[in-house]
This record gives sequence, structure tokens and C-alpha cells, in this order.
Amino acid sequence: MMPPDPMRRTLAALTSLPDGEELTLLLYREPFPLYALLDREGYVHATELERDGTYRIRIRLGR
Amino acid sequence: MPHRGCVMTALALDESPPLHAPLRFFATAPIWGAAAGVLTSLRAERVTASRWTPEAFAVVHVLALGFMLQVMAGALLQLLPVAVGSAVPRVRLLARVSHAGLNAGTLLLVAAFLGAGPGWFAAAGAVLLATLAAYVGAVGLCLARARAIGPTLPALRLAVLALGVTVALGVTLALGLGLGWPVPIVELVHLHAAWGVLGFGLCLVLGVAYLVVPMFQLTPAYPVPVARALPLTVFAGLGLWSVGVPLGVEPVAFAGAAVLAAATVAFVAQTLLLLASSKRRIRDTTAWYWRLGLCCLLLAAASASWLHVGCPPQLRAPLEYATGVFVLAGAFPALICGMLYKIVPFLVWLHLSRRGPGAPLMHQVIGEPGPRVQLVTHAAAVIALAAGAASPLLAAFGGALFAASKVLLGLNLVVAISVYRSDHRPAGPAAPARC
Repeated sequence: MMPPDPMRRTLAALTSLPDGEELTLLLYREPFPLYALLDREGYVHATELERDGTYRIRIRLGR
Repeated sequence: MPHRGCVMTALALDESPPLHAPLRFFATAPIWGAAAGVLTSLRAERVTASRWTPEAFAVVHVLALGFMLQVMAGALLQLLPVAVGSAVPRVRLLARVSHAGLNAGTLLLVAAFLGAGPGWFAAAGAVLLATLAAYVGAVGLCLARARAIGPTLPALRLAVLALGVTVALGVTLALGLGLGWPVPIVELVHLHAAWGVLGFGLCLVLGVAYLVVPMFQLTPAYPVPVARALPLTVFAGLGLWSVGVPLGVEPVAFAGAAVLAAATVAFVAQTLLLLASSKRRIRDTTAWYWRLGLCCLLLAAASASWLHVGCPPQLRAPLEYATGVFVLAGAFPALICGMLYKIVPFLVWLHLSRRGPGAPLMHQVIGEPGPRVQLVTHAAAVIALAAGAASPLLAAFGGALFAASKVLLGLNLVVAISVYRSDHRPAGPAAPARC
């Protein structure tokens, strides 16, 4: 997907994320613009970088 | 507690610099690119005779400072918040000051090379030192604060470190020539060129490629071990070469050159593999800019290696000229154009979409025909310029084509700017507003 589709899809998925559930993204770059939005909206996220260059980003509601 | 169901549909622009910050660099670069072509055309005999003629130095610095560093400096200001999550401090002021200083310093330096007098070297050295020290300091601080976990950050840190070394060496040379200091000119020129082209230029291309090739060409990511190893390998090779060449220790210089050539070939091979596995269904001109630039990098690595291994003395000057053409007229300008034709439409779209629905899509901002015509012109220019190693007449023709290619680049960027300016909707907050 070309920018900004990954961010748009992520934001759309977050609106329907059930309480207590986690959204996992697999991206080819670290999404700093998304981090800024998540931080502002009270979501927490954790990122790992895999050997093939995939970033695994786990997002859930902060409590 | 977030508001569920209507969370966020806005794009984060808070960290982004204003559009004019990078665009002022991007809009100026084609003028210098065209000037390099015209100068090559007018002084082809002297430019091709040796890398050590004043005319050759002038053309090299018009390209390296006026075109390449110009675009790279502007692009870094824009890319850093997205690439490593850290904004450049006082970015508006830095953009204005560094753009003015870089252009003034380049003008002074080129005038000095073309015979304006030693005082112009000193003035150029002072202006470029003040400008680039501020730039390297601000961007270096931004990179030091960044906490990105991927391979782009270390590559960019090494690139900016190398830019600092390049500036220090270049300013020493300029002040030495201007004020009559006894500096070892030949050795410093070798080091200055290598740190600028390989330490800064190549490491910057590596770091940016890790981000933009997967993002805009829809390829898989660079494998992390390869991506982390490449800039370190470039620095290791550069370190060996920087010891071996000035001290005249041929085996060490040869080992450094071999390591640098191997790193370049590995990067080119890896990127071509990724481009071959792109998920794009539609042919994209920017991918061909990447392929052209990568092929020129390979040719440059081959010709530079030949210079270290058994190059007959009578071929040394033409081969040095050809290496310069492949690097400065072929590889970097092609890679820069490939990135600009994605970054500029993306920025225009990003800033216009902030005004609400109705922003043109990325591919509508410049379109395909303009960049395609420029690509063909640029490729023809590189072939003619390289053939100029055998005939100055061909170099003159290549210079004219190169100038035409940069005029076309400028016109394509003007199209993008006019799309932005023709949108008269009021600039507002990121839309739609949060609930």
C-alpha cells in the first residue's frame, strides 16, 4: 500500500477494535506519524523489528 | 480515554515542516543542474582534460553543492520526522538560512574556481563553514535525539557525520587557497571527494532508500542484517582508503577501495532485486530512475576499481573523468529525481488534504509524461557525457542534454507547485476534526 493507505486503514480498524483487544500491524517502516496520533488519543503501542525488515506494531487502548 | 468510533482520521502534520522549507531547496536545484550542463558544454575541452582543471572543479561543485547537496539538505528537513521520528529544531529558520548560505557559498566558490581571485575562495569557505556547521549541528542534534529502531537512523547518522568531515576538509582547502595556508592540497582533495561522495552521498542514499524504496515502489523491505551492515562497511572502506591514499600505502588503499566497491555492488544488487519484486501493477517512471541511478553506481564502482588495479597511465585522466560522470551526473541525479518525483507530489497531496476532501491524488500532481521525457533526456545526457572521455565534442553535447534534463525537472516541479498554489481552499486544521 502507498501512503497514506496504511495509516487510513489502521485508523479505520482502531475505531472498531473491541475493548481489551490488540491490533497488530505489519509494515515496512516505523510509522512515526501514526505514533503521534496514537499517543495523542491515548493508545499504547509496542514495536519490534524482524530480520526481514518487517515492523510488527501492537496497538491497544491505554488504561 | 479515547473517544471510540470516531477516533482519528487526520494525518499527522504537526511534526512536518511547512511546505516551503524543503521546496525552496528543490526549486533551486534544477537551476544549478542546468548551469552545470551549460558550463560543461562551454568548457568541454578543459572539463574533460583532467579532474584537476579549475573548470572541472567548478562543474563538480556546481553539481555537488548546487544540485546534490541542495536537494539532500531540503529532503532531510522534510524526511527526518517521518523517517526517524525526530523533528529538526528551528526548521523554518534553518531552511531559510541554510538555503541562502548554501547558494551564496556555491556562487562564491564557483566564481573562485573560474578565476575571480583567491579572496573568493576565502569568502566561500567562510560562508559555507557558517552555513553547513549550523545545518550539520541542527540535523545532528535531531538525529542524536531520535529513537527509531530501524537501519535508516544509523545510516543517516553516519551520513551527517561524513558531511561534517567533508565540510571540514573542503573549508580547509578553500581557506588554504584563499589565505595562502600551506595545506597538502592533493591529499585533502582526495579525502574531501571520497568523504563527500561515499561517506555522505552513498550513506544518505542507503538510509533514504531503506525508507522510500519499500514505501513508494511497493517492494519488500531491505533485510535488516544487510541494511545495518552496508553503511558500516562503507565507513570501514572509507577509513582504510583514507589512511592508504594520503600515506601512499597502496595495499591499504586497495583494500579500502575493494571494500567500498563491494558495498556499492551489494547495495545495487539488493535494490535491483527488491525493485524486481515490486507489487506495483502500473509501470512507474521513478522505478526507472532508480534503475538508471543504480546502473551508474555500478559503472562508477567498476571504473573506480580499475583506477586502483592496473589502469594504464594514458587512460587515467579519461577514466577519472568517466567515474565522475557516472557518480555526479549519472547516479546521484537519477536517484534524486526518482525520489523527488515521489516526495514532491506526496507533500503537495499531504498539505492539500489538510484542507479537506478534494485534494488531487499523488499521481495527478505531476503526471507521468513529464518525468518520462526527463528520464530519457537524462539517460542520453549521461551516455554522451561518458563518451566525452573520448571526445570533448560529445561532452559538450552531453552537457547541453544534461542542462535540458534539469530544465525539464524544474518545469515538472513548477507544475507541482502550481497545483498547490491553484488550490484556494483555506488552510485549516487536519481534517476532519477529531470527535
